[in-house]
Amino acid sequence: MVLLESEQFLTELTRLFQKCRTSGSVYITLKKYDGRTKPIPKKGTVEGFEPADNKCLLRATDGKKKISTVVSSKEVNKFQMAYSNLLRANMDGLKKRDKKNKTKKTKAAAAAATAAVAAAAAPAAAATPATPATPAAPAATAATAAQ
Amino acid sequence: MPQYQTWEEFSRAAEKLYLADPMKARVVLKYRHSDGNLCVKVTDDLCLVYKTEQAQDVKKIEKFHSQLMRLMVAKESRNVTMETE
Repeated sequence: MVLLESEQFLTELTRLFQKCRTSGSVYITLKKYDGRTKPIPKKGTVEGFEPADNKCLLRATDGKKKISTVVSSKEVNKFQMAYSNLLRANMDGLKKRDKKNKTKKTKAAAAAATAAVAAAAAPAAAATPATPATPAAPAATAATAAQ
Repeated sequence: MPQYQTWEEFSRAAEKLYLADPMKARVVLKYRHSDGNLCVKVTDDLCLVYKTEQAQDVKKIEKFHSQLMRLMVAKESRNVTMETE
């Protein structure tokens, strides 16, 4: 298992995606990490270990090659932007949805979703974008049916 | 291993599962370009799965991933004071 710096991890991850384009899968795992470097002993005390709360562990593999990185709160902003772009750029082999009513709906939903997410309050935002999207869909289909 | 058909249900259940035990829960993302599908699994030994072949779900999944990442690195204020001392 190769532990890399965030930037190097992103580069290697891009390479993994490119390698697996013709066949194979890319597995990415995300988990909260508390900074421990030693396994927990079965008995006896853990030696003065202070669990850190602000890190997460990211792993990626194509079944053969393994890479990993630790992201902390200081790097998360920069890393997250680059990581999101990477995912979006590479996971482009999926089917595109039916164009007619979906383009209107997805544009409206995307605009609403980005505005809601930007305003923070992530758990609340998870519920609210659902409600604006559903009234928009029947309105869009009614409009196309009328035409 | 419940498999969800709608993204809404899956993301809500997944977030609840993570918040129940943040240290134990993990998110696995499996992408197959040759087959053109994407599979998301959130587990803490109990699994929730969501599979898709739709391009529109990629954005949602990627946002979800980022959201969870932020949750995991949150509570930084407490740690920053500890580090400076």
